[in-house]
Amino acid sequence: MEQVGYINPSANLDAVFSALADPTRRAILARLSTGEAAVQELAEPFSISQPAISKHLKVLERAGLVERDIDRQRRPARLCAQPMADAVAWLEEFRNFWSGSFDQLDILLEDLKTAEETPNE
Amino acid sequence: MSELPTYVLDRTFNAPPALVWRTWTEPELVQRWYGPGVTSIVHKMDVREGGEWLHEMQWGGNSNYQRADYSEVTPHTRLVWLHANTDGDWMITANPMMPDWPRLLLTVVTMDAEGDKTRLRLTWTPHEATDKEIACFEAAMDGMGQGWGKGMDMLEEILKELQG
Repeated sequence: MEQVGYINPSANLDAVFSALADPTRRAILARLSTGEAAVQELAEPFSISQPAISKHLKVLERAGLVERDIDRQRRPARLCAQPMADAVAWLEEFRNFWSGSFDQLDILLEDLKTAEETPNE
Repeated sequence: MSELPTYVLDRTFNAPPALVWRTWTEPELVQRWYGPGVTSIVHKMDVREGGEWLHEMQWGGNSNYQRADYSEVTPHTRLVWLHANTDGDWMITANPMMPDWPRLLLTVVTMDAEGDKTRLRLTWTPHEATDKEIACFEAAMDGMGQGWGKGMDMLEEILKELQG
Protein backbone atom coordinates (compact mmCIF):
# COMPACT_ATOMS: atom_id res chain seq x y z
CA MET A 1 0.00 0.00 0.00
CA GLU A 2 1.27 3.44 -0.92
CA GLN A 3 2.19 5.75 1.89
CA VAL A 4 1.46 9.37 1.15
CA GLY A 5 2.69 12.54 2.81
CA TYR A 6 0.89 15.84 3.11
CA ILE A 7 2.93 17.48 0.38
CA ASN A 8 4.58 16.26 -2.80
CA PRO A 9 8.04 17.74 -2.96
CA SER A 10 9.78 18.30 -6.26
CA ALA A 11 13.15 17.28 -4.91
CA ASN A 12 14.77 14.92 -2.49
CA LEU A 13 14.30 16.70 0.82
CA ASP A 14 17.23 14.85 2.42
CA ALA A 15 19.63 16.68 0.12
CA VAL A 16 17.78 19.98 0.52
CA PHE A 17 17.98 19.85 4.30
CA SER A 18 21.64 19.02 4.42
CA ALA A 19 22.33 21.81 1.92
CA LEU A 20 20.32 24.31 3.95
CA ALA A 21 21.95 23.29 7.23
CA ASP A 22 25.04 25.39 6.47
CA PRO A 23 24.97 29.15 7.23
CA THR A 24 27.28 30.09 4.33
CA ARG A 25 25.04 28.25 1.90
CA ARG A 26 21.97 29.97 3.31
CA ALA A 27 23.74 33.32 2.87
CA ILE A 28 24.56 32.41 -0.75
CA LEU A 29 20.87 31.68 -1.33
CA ALA A 30 19.93 35.01 0.21
CA ARG A 31 22.33 36.77 -2.17
CA LEU A 32 20.96 34.84 -5.15
CA SER A 33 17.41 35.81 -4.24
CA THR A 34 18.31 39.32 -5.39
CA GLY A 35 19.45 38.04 -8.79
CA GLU A 36 21.93 35.71 -10.48
CA ALA A 37 25.61 36.01 -9.62
CA ALA A 38 28.95 34.51 -10.67
CA VAL A 39 31.28 32.75 -8.23
CA GLN A 40 33.53 35.78 -7.98
CA GLU A 41 30.65 38.06 -6.98
CA LEU A 42 29.39 35.51 -4.49
CA ALA A 43 32.82 35.17 -2.86
CA GLU A 44 33.24 38.92 -2.27
CA PRO A 45 31.12 39.35 0.90
CA PHE A 46 32.56 36.20 2.47
CA SER A 47 36.04 35.76 3.81
CA ILE A 48 36.42 32.49 1.95
CA SER A 49 38.02 31.58 -1.35
CA GLN A 50 36.33 31.15 -4.71
CA PRO A 51 37.04 27.39 -4.73
CA ALA A 52 35.28 27.13 -1.36
CA ILE A 53 32.28 29.02 -2.78
CA SER A 54 32.30 26.69 -5.80
CA LYS A 55 32.14 23.73 -3.47
CA HIS A 56 29.14 25.18 -1.67
CA LEU A 57 27.49 25.88 -5.02
CA LYS A 58 27.95 22.24 -6.03
CA VAL A 59 26.13 21.12 -2.89
CA LEU A 60 23.33 23.59 -3.61
CA GLU A 61 23.16 22.44 -7.24
CA ARG A 62 22.92 18.79 -6.24
CA ALA A 63 20.04 19.66 -3.93
CA GLY A 64 18.28 21.43 -6.82
CA LEU A 65 18.46 24.79 -5.03
CA VAL A 66 20.71 26.43 -7.60
CA GLU A 67 21.08 26.24 -11.37
CA ARG A 68 24.16 27.27 -13.35
CA ASP A 69 24.59 28.00 -17.01
CA ILE A 70 26.97 25.62 -18.68
CA ASP A 71 27.85 27.50 -21.83
CA ARG A 72 28.17 31.07 -20.57
CA GLN A 73 31.68 31.94 -19.48
CA ARG A 74 30.85 33.39 -16.07
CA ARG A 75 28.56 30.47 -15.29
CA PRO A 76 26.28 32.61 -13.14
CA ALA A 77 24.30 30.82 -10.45
CA ARG A 78 20.54 31.21 -10.17
CA LEU A 79 18.23 30.37 -7.29
CA CYS A 80 15.58 27.66 -7.69
CA ALA A 81 12.99 28.30 -5.04
CA GLN A 82 10.78 25.21 -5.20
CA PRO A 83 12.94 22.77 -3.19
CA MET A 84 13.40 25.45 -0.55
CA ALA A 85 9.66 26.05 -0.41
CA ASP A 86 9.18 22.28 0.00
CA ALA A 87 11.69 22.13 2.85
CA VAL A 88 10.10 25.06 4.68
CA ALA A 89 6.65 23.53 4.13
CA TRP A 90 7.86 20.22 5.54
CA LEU A 91 9.24 21.91 8.66
CA GLU A 92 6.04 23.86 9.16
CA GLU A 93 4.02 20.71 8.79
CA PHE A 94 6.17 18.92 11.36
CA ARG A 95 5.80 21.80 13.82
CA ASN A 96 2.08 22.10 13.12
CA PHE A 97 1.55 18.41 13.70
CA TRP A 98 2.52 18.72 17.33
CA SER A 99 1.29 22.23 18.06
CA GLY A 100 -2.02 21.44 16.33
CA SER A 101 -2.34 18.12 18.14
CA PHE A 102 -1.55 19.69 21.50
CA ASP A 103 -4.12 22.45 20.90
CA GLN A 104 -6.68 19.70 20.35
CA LEU A 105 -5.46 17.94 23.49
CA ASP A 106 -5.99 21.16 25.49
CA ILE A 107 -9.63 21.21 24.40
CA LEU A 108 -10.10 17.51 25.12
CA LEU A 109 -8.67 17.88 28.64
CA GLU A 110 -11.06 20.75 29.35
CA ASP A 111 -13.96 18.55 28.18
CA LEU A 112 -12.81 15.68 30.38
CA LYS A 113 -12.43 17.90 33.43
CA THR A 114 -15.91 19.29 32.93
CA ALA A 115 -17.29 15.75 32.60
CA GLU A 116 -15.55 14.72 35.84
CA GLU A 117 -16.99 17.68 37.69
CA THR A 118 -20.54 16.71 36.76
CA PRO A 119 -20.54 12.92 37.21
CA ASN A 120 -24.23 12.53 38.04
CA GLU A 121 -25.52 14.26 34.98
CA MET B 1 24.69 8.56 23.19
CA SER B 2 24.15 12.14 24.33
CA GLU B 3 25.67 13.18 20.98
CA LEU B 4 22.54 12.16 19.11
CA PRO B 5 20.36 14.99 17.83
CA THR B 6 17.12 15.21 19.76
CA TYR B 7 13.83 16.95 19.11
CA VAL B 8 12.43 18.35 22.36
CA LEU B 9 8.94 19.68 22.85
CA ASP B 10 7.70 21.08 26.17
CA ARG B 11 4.11 21.92 26.93
CA THR B 12 2.14 22.50 30.09
CA PHE B 13 -1.41 21.18 30.18
CA ASN B 14 -4.08 22.49 32.48
CA ALA B 15 -4.95 19.08 33.96
CA PRO B 16 -3.34 16.67 36.43
CA PRO B 17 -1.00 13.90 35.14
CA ALA B 18 -3.59 11.17 35.82
CA LEU B 19 -5.96 12.79 33.34
CA VAL B 20 -3.25 13.63 30.79
CA TRP B 21 -2.09 10.01 31.00
CA ARG B 22 -5.55 8.81 29.99
CA THR B 23 -5.45 10.95 26.84
CA TRP B 24 -2.23 9.18 25.74
CA THR B 25 -3.30 5.65 26.60
CA GLU B 26 -7.06 5.29 25.89
CA PRO B 27 -7.73 4.78 22.16
CA GLU B 28 -11.02 6.68 22.07
CA LEU B 29 -9.31 9.68 23.67
CA VAL B 30 -6.12 9.49 21.54
CA GLN B 31 -8.29 9.59 18.41
CA ARG B 32 -9.75 12.90 19.50
CA TRP B 33 -6.49 14.86 19.53
CA TYR B 34 -3.61 13.05 17.79
CA GLY B 35 -3.14 14.53 14.30
CA PRO B 36 -4.52 17.98 13.50
CA GLY B 37 -7.10 18.25 10.74
CA VAL B 38 -7.08 14.52 10.01
CA THR B 39 -9.28 11.57 10.86
CA SER B 40 -7.35 9.59 13.44
CA ILE B 41 -7.99 5.87 13.84
CA VAL B 42 -6.40 3.73 16.53
CA HIS B 43 -6.31 0.18 15.14
CA LYS B 44 -4.63 -1.22 18.21
CA MET B 45 -3.39 0.22 21.47
CA ASP B 46 -1.89 -2.11 24.01
CA VAL B 47 -0.13 0.11 26.51
CA ARG B 48 2.35 -2.17 28.28
CA GLU B 49 5.99 -3.03 27.79
CA GLY B 50 6.17 -5.00 24.56
CA GLY B 51 2.70 -3.87 23.51
CA GLU B 52 1.97 -1.93 20.31
CA TRP B 53 0.01 1.07 19.09
CA LEU B 54 -1.09 0.96 15.45
CA HIS B 55 -2.36 4.28 14.16
CA GLU B 56 -3.87 5.49 10.88
CA MET B 57 -4.40 9.10 9.85
CA GLN B 58 -6.73 9.87 6.95
CA TRP B 59 -7.16 13.08 5.02
CA GLY B 60 -8.39 13.88 1.53
CA GLY B 61 -8.50 10.22 0.49
CA ASN B 62 -4.96 9.52 1.71
CA SER B 63 -3.81 7.42 4.61
CA ASN B 64 -0.67 7.58 6.69
CA TYR B 65 0.22 4.68 8.93
CA GLN B 66 2.51 4.56 11.93
CA ARG B 67 3.31 2.15 14.67
CA ALA B 68 4.66 2.49 18.19
CA ASP B 69 6.24 -0.32 20.17
CA TYR B 70 6.20 0.44 23.87
CA SER B 71 9.36 -0.23 25.85
CA GLU B 72 8.57 1.54 29.11
CA VAL B 73 5.24 2.26 30.74
CA THR B 74 5.12 4.04 34.10
CA PRO B 75 1.56 5.25 34.70
CA HIS B 76 1.08 9.02 35.03
CA THR B 77 4.83 9.57 34.68
CA ARG B 78 6.64 8.12 31.71
CA LEU B 79 5.83 6.51 28.39
CA VAL B 80 8.58 5.30 26.03
CA TRP B 81 8.18 3.77 22.59
CA LEU B 82 9.86 3.24 19.25
CA HIS B 83 8.04 5.21 16.58
CA ALA B 84 8.01 4.29 12.88
CA ASN B 85 6.23 5.03 9.61
CA THR B 86 4.68 1.89 8.15
CA ASP B 87 2.77 0.61 5.15
CA GLY B 88 -0.85 -0.50 5.43
CA ASP B 89 0.29 -3.84 6.82
CA TRP B 90 2.14 -2.14 9.70
CA MET B 91 5.54 -3.04 8.25
CA ILE B 92 8.16 -0.34 8.82
CA THR B 93 8.94 1.73 5.70
CA ALA B 94 11.09 4.69 4.77
CA ASN B 95 9.55 8.15 4.75
CA PRO B 96 8.57 8.65 1.07
CA MET B 97 9.62 12.30 1.12
CA MET B 98 12.85 11.74 3.00
CA PRO B 99 14.46 8.35 2.39
CA ASP B 100 17.11 9.14 4.99
CA TRP B 101 14.64 10.13 7.73
CA PRO B 102 15.31 7.75 10.67
CA ARG B 103 13.26 4.55 10.41
CA LEU B 104 13.02 4.36 14.18
CA LEU B 105 12.63 7.26 16.57
CA LEU B 106 12.88 6.67 20.28
CA THR B 107 10.02 8.66 21.74
CA VAL B 108 9.97 9.59 25.41
CA VAL B 109 7.00 11.33 26.99
CA THR B 110 7.37 12.43 30.60
CA MET B 111 4.67 13.98 32.75
CA ASP B 112 5.43 16.02 35.86
CA ALA B 113 2.80 17.41 38.18
CA GLU B 114 3.02 21.14 38.70
CA GLY B 115 0.21 22.05 41.09
CA ASP B 116 -2.90 20.79 39.31
CA LYS B 117 -1.20 21.13 35.93
CA THR B 118 1.07 18.77 34.02
CA ARG B 119 4.42 19.67 32.54
CA LEU B 120 4.86 17.36 29.58
CA ARG B 121 8.06 16.81 27.68
CA LEU B 122 8.25 14.88 24.44
CA THR B 123 11.60 13.94 22.91
CA TRP B 124 12.45 12.21 19.66
CA THR B 125 15.88 10.65 19.14
CA PRO B 126 17.03 8.48 16.20
CA HIS B 127 17.28 4.84 17.29
CA GLU B 128 19.82 2.36 15.89
CA ALA B 129 20.19 4.87 13.08
CA THR B 130 22.69 5.00 10.22
CA ASP B 131 25.01 8.00 9.93
CA LYS B 132 22.88 9.22 7.02
CA GLU B 133 19.71 8.99 9.07
CA ILE B 134 21.29 10.86 11.96
CA ALA B 135 22.58 13.58 9.60
CA CYS B 136 19.16 13.93 7.96
CA PHE B 137 17.38 14.19 11.31
CA GLU B 138 19.93 16.66 12.61
CA ALA B 139 19.65 18.89 9.53
CA ALA B 140 15.86 18.90 9.70
CA MET B 141 15.81 19.55 13.45
CA ASP B 142 18.30 22.40 13.04
CA GLY B 143 15.76 23.93 10.72
CA MET B 144 13.11 23.79 13.41
CA GLY B 145 14.39 27.13 14.60
CA GLN B 146 16.84 25.87 17.21
CA GLY B 147 19.97 25.82 15.08
CA TRP B 148 19.08 28.00 12.13
CA GLY B 149 17.52 30.69 14.24
CA LYS B 150 17.36 33.69 11.97
CA GLY B 151 18.17 31.40 9.06
CA MET B 152 14.65 30.04 8.98
CA ASP B 153 13.18 33.56 9.01
CA MET B 154 15.51 34.42 6.17
CA LEU B 155 14.32 31.49 4.08
CA GLU B 156 10.73 32.49 4.66
CA GLU B 157 11.56 36.06 3.62
CA ILE B 158 13.24 34.89 0.43
CA LEU B 159 10.24 32.73 -0.41
CA LYS B 160 7.82 35.59 0.19
CA GLU B 161 9.84 37.85 -2.11
CA LEU B 162 9.96 35.22 -4.82
CA GLN B 163 6.25 34.56 -4.59
CA GLY B 164 5.30 38.24 -4.37
